[in-house]
Amino acid sequence: MAELKEIAKELLTSGTVAYIIGYASEKNDKTVPFIARTVEDAEKLVFTHHSVNNLSVYLKRIKKPESGKVGLVVKGCDLKAVVALIQESQSKREDIYIISPKCNTVVSDNTKPWNKDNIASKCLSCEVRTPSLFDATFGEIETVELPSDEQIELIKKVEAMSTSEKWEFWKNEFEKCVKCYACRQACPLCYCDQCIVDKASPRWIDSSATVQGNFAWNMIRAFHLSGRCIGCEECNRVCPVDIPLSLLNRKMSMFAVSEYDYKAGTSIEEPTLVGTYKLTDNEDFIK
Amino acid sequence: MKDYIITAENIQLLVNDVLKQGWDVVSESKTGVNFNAIKDASELAIKSDSKPSKLSMKDFFFPKTEPLFFYRQSHDGVELVDASPIEKKTLFLGAKPCDAAAIPVLSKVFNWDYKDEFYNKRVENSVVVSLKCNYSDDYCFCTSIGLSQKAEQGSDAMLTEQQDGSYFLHIVTEKGDEFFKMYSQYLKDTQAENNKPVESKYPEPAVKFDQGKVKGWLDANFEHDFWNNLGDVCLGCGQCTFVCPTCHCFDIVDENCNYHEGGRMKNWDSCQLCLFTKHASGHNPRDGQTKRYRQRIQHKFKYYEDKFNEVLCTGCGRCTRGCGVGIDIGGIMERIDKF
Repeated sequence: MAELKEIAKELLTSGTVAYIIGYASEKNDKTVPFIARTVEDAEKLVFTHHSVNNLSVYLKRIKKPESGKVGLVVKGCDLKAVVALIQESQSKREDIYIISPKCNTVVSDNTKPWNKDNIASKCLSCEVRTPSLFDATFGEIETVELPSDEQIELIKKVEAMSTSEKWEFWKNEFEKCVKCYACRQACPLCYCDQCIVDKASPRWIDSSATVQGNFAWNMIRAFHLSGRCIGCEECNRVCPVDIPLSLLNRKMSMFAVSEYDYKAGTSIEEPTLVGTYKLTDNEDFIK
Repeated sequence: MKDYIITAENIQLLVNDVLKQGWDVVSESKTGVNFNAIKDASELAIKSDSKPSKLSMKDFFFPKTEPLFFYRQSHDGVELVDASPIEKKTLFLGAKPCDAAAIPVLSKVFNWDYKDEFYNKRVENSVVVSLKCNYSDDYCFCTSIGLSQKAEQGSDAMLTEQQDGSYFLHIVTEKGDEFFKMYSQYLKDTQAENNKPVESKYPEPAVKFDQGKVKGWLDANFEHDFWNNLGDVCLGCGQCTFVCPTCHCFDIVDENCNYHEGGRMKNWDSCQLCLFTKHASGHNPRDGQTKRYRQRIQHKFKYYEDKFNEVLCTGCGRCTRGCGVGIDIGGIMERIDKF
């Protein structure tokens, strides 16, 4: 932690960055997003097992500084969103000062202590605890005992369902949706200037939180993130009614790998899946 | 009003009787996400020491989406068809006092000028039996806004969990009295019992602020640097307003329509969403999250009090517990209190 504060102070003092988007402690062990603009602010920065938020979401939500870079504290998993934003020409590598810690997994429930049974599902298959793209890094990797990946089991369970069983499963989940759009707002890759659900004239999607309107919203979002979702699971985390949105996104990501050998947010140089066409692309699902 | 004792078993029998009468019975769902209309007493989840469910029960009085009427266009003109009348009677069982207390708060705004017949009919058709709360966490603050874990506002009767597993039933309103008279076979006289209420494992809510002082500061500080920092990390979703038992803004849209027919829907809306105050001209007077979050605080702790003499909040803490970026409304109130 001392390392992070030192890095931050130096960056703010030298004017390399205009501000640093990081985490600060809140009640109990919880951490919350925090924007450090001064050296005093830098003292408040922390990185713990409770640093769950994907802070790259703020790259598109906070006004760019007039001078200096944006400092961003970002875990290896969330860094994929930064890569995807650069791939999609939404951010420039030279505008961001990436401070990426070595990460020893984060909690699933931010109000409870970190332990083997309270580890975010995205950590269970994580391959980027040591980041590969950064301007500064800190921390040490420790051995972490991981529980089994229940989410992948649930995906297999849903895959094995009949069409009508799938319909029932998702109908029960989507019925709960209140259209708060927290999934969209917390998503670093939901950056459209105007989301299709906010288009009122003409209105393409029912704004009513009916089964029809809820299916339309959640399915369109899943499609729009196919081959783009980097699996930070922020949508799943912020959903106030516990809709398992990650099942959809992870399934689509698995599909991008199996059909197109593409993992979103892997390399800045790589063209995006939906932005390119190869003669060898699999087309047999088009009927 | 009279008090009674009711055993846990008799609550189950009573609920199944109420269901047989064709009533809906609504209680917190076992998942802790929302309130559900149950089909059998075995689905009841009455727990005095549980965290408030993620969604409040306002959906049952002020649904997230509701048709106001339907319309059909023909050669002879436009035909209007009323939405189905609200006839169902509903028993709300085991609601927390901070949930029940939202009803009289909402009733004020839905009867201030136009009388909202949909809302009023639902309130009229409901009997609210709340449960004395034995829970608190870092985000509860009912005691700072004039309520408490045994506040009776909005309840027709209140249960208090006893040490032997039975419940002390305190009747609050005439409506509650009439309801329980129909099921008196399940009630016992309090004299026959010598029991004590369960003691809470949790302390009183730790968040403390003086609402009078906060209101004074809000009156004088519409413009203040304090607001700028609050909006910094807010992502602008509507979670806080939708899980809130008292937030009541709605939008009216025509939907499910083709050229000839459709329905006029009343849907939850949120002051935190970017379209909320956007004018047809494209101008948006609340053009950033800082202004939108200030609106939420001002509406709850100033404007509503100016107009209705009470705050638009029951201190349940749902907005904070659910906030993806940890914006803590109780903590904000405490900070304002210290200015």
